Amino acid sequence: MGAPRPPSPRPEGGAEAAFLPSPRTVWAALGRLVPSYMQGSTRRVGIMTDVHRRFLQLLMTHGVLEEWDVKRLQKHCYKVHDCNATVEKLEDFINNINSVLESLYIEIKKGVTEDDGRPIYALVNLATTSVSKMASDFAENELDLFRKALELIIDSETGFASSTNILNLVDQLKGKKMRKKEAEQVLQKFVQHKWLVEKEGEFTLHCRAILEMEQYIRETYPDAVKVCNICHSLLIQGQSCETCGIKMHLPCVAKYFQSNSEPRCPHCNDYWPHEIPEVFDPEKEREAGISKSNKKPLRSRQH
Amino acid sequence: MPRGQKSKLRAREKRRQAREELKELAGAQATAPEEEESPSSPSPSFKDVPQSSSATETPSNPQVPERVHSTTTTAAAVSNTRFDEGANNQVEERPNASQAQDTPKHWHKSHIEEKVTMLVHYLLHKYQMKEPITKADMLKNVIQVYKNHFHEILKKASDHIELVFGLDVKEVDPNRNIYVLVNKLELDYDSRVNDNRGMPKTGLLMTVLGVIFTKGNRAAEEEVWKVLNMMGIYAGENNFIYGEPRKLITQDLVKENYLEYRQVPNSDPPRYEFLWGPRAHAETSKMKVLEFVAKIHDTVPSAFPTWYEEALRDEEERARARAWVWGLGKLHVLQCKSILC
Repeated sequence: MGAPRPPSPRPEGGAEAAFLPSPRTVWAALGRLVPSYMQGSTRRVGIMTDVHRRFLQLLMTHGVLEEWDVKRLQKHCYKVHDCNATVEKLEDFINNINSVLESLYIEIKKGVTEDDGRPIYALVNLATTSVSKMASDFAENELDLFRKALELIIDSETGFASSTNILNLVDQLKGKKMRKKEAEQVLQKFVQHKWLVEKEGEFTLHCRAILEMEQYIRETYPDAVKVCNICHSLLIQGQSCETCGIKMHLPCVAKYFQSNSEPRCPHCNDYWPHEIPEVFDPEKEREAGISKSNKKPLRSRQH
Repeated sequence: MPRGQKSKLRAREKRRQAREELKELAGAQATAPEEEESPSSPSPSFKDVPQSSSATETPSNPQVPERVHSTTTTAAAVSNTRFDEGANNQVEERPNASQAQDTPKHWHKSHIEEKVTMLVHYLLHKYQMKEPITKADMLKNVIQVYKNHFHEILKKASDHIELVFGLDVKEVDPNRNIYVLVNKLELDYDSRVNDNRGMPKTGLLMTVLGVIFTKGNRAAEEEVWKVLNMMGIYAGENNFIYGEPRKLITQDLVKENYLEYRQVPNSDPPRYEFLWGPRAHAETSKMKVLEFVAKIHDTVPSAFPTWYEEALRDEEERARARAWVWGLGKLHVLQCKSILC
């Protein structure tokens, strides 16, 4: 999801939870966690105030939010529930909340959008990592359509699957027979629910889907899945070295080659042939008042 | 589930239970964690090798590469509660080692706790989707074999949600066992009316929008009340969630532009009708409302062909409008405006 991710917010010490450096190892270690509520631990729960609760409600409602939106949200919650208190630093604020959410196997997870490096936040389930959230919203054939689209996206060079290719698989779906017209609707439903994103007739994963499903994807498609050479997270869109084939996220490329006039592949040292995107700068973004959709998209389909 | 699977599962479950009890008596602390942890299924998909976990609700047929969250219709749903195999068994082991006699109770208890967590996830997901929750849904998707413990599990889940998220789980329709999550936070300024992210008004609002849509996009007041009365909501009777319903739908929601309430043209004596307000058009869609209606009737939108066609057409128009708006870059501005609502 972007250059070296900051360590996932986890409480240090504590009887039951050892410090877990990243969400990936959280999963592996999950078997060794004793849910704190079972030990009757109340000390963590005590730090939740209405400010935090309201924040969670609104974050949940929006699904996924960009960092500047999250900061505004935080200020809004303080204003509404506790206008006299000083607004806590966002990272601490979120760590606080996560320590309470831990016993429910939920987390506010931070990620970075693959195409332009914007930091994003979403509330994700830790335990039910895969498509289970979708399971209660979609029919069997719809879920299978999603799975087919997912496979095409992962196998593709660009991280995008064309609408035509997805629709051509409609006959292979499990469950009730689906017409192509219906399938188009279902794809739009996925877009609305923020599982997929559409660009010029092609589909890729929504950044929220990547946050929620990374674990599931890595385990379901261990051979096909691509990983960024820099941050080692799941890679759907990115640039690749034409000589040795390693891949990097666009924001990772931006950070790695920042102010480097002669970018070279970190693996094989060959000249890096692609355009180096700019590092995402929230300040510059706000000042220029450029709306997200107007900004010329970084060449997100390089490979 | 294919024939023969249930009995296989039960046999497996019995063997597992017997294994557990034997181990407790022997005082062994480490069971065979490798059974649960290692993906003994060679298939790249699920580590759902729940021979020793709560296999009763997940079909652990190793030939089926897909795993199922609920054993029913969404059979192909690729989902899993991983903490099932891991945390569950580890949790059992530690307390159990010291209380050999208590084994069944503890083991049972941790399964319940697991279901509580799953129910929390499910309820929150429904809140996010702004959909009501039926008891049937909860039983099918989450509770499954523990349906005798439904109330206990629901109570615990509600407590967690109340404590952590400030949301109350309230039963809106006791006849059909429909629940909603209600925001219970006290707000410093009067934004209760503006706080339209709270479920209760959304549930009622969606119902009214549904009536309007299914009556041809305008509904006589009598028709709306007929439906609300069926849900146990009566004009003049203060409903503990909605307050006074008549004021809510004829004034509050109108003021917020969700509904239009007007006199039927040329009616004498004057009769009144409801239509969708501009904000309803903006914040939801015919398809979403139809989905809500279908859900209440425990079916799918395509079961109502005429309305489904109309909703599909509406979706197409919206997609066109969205493309236009996106192209003009207005969408970002709209997003900014709605962030705090």
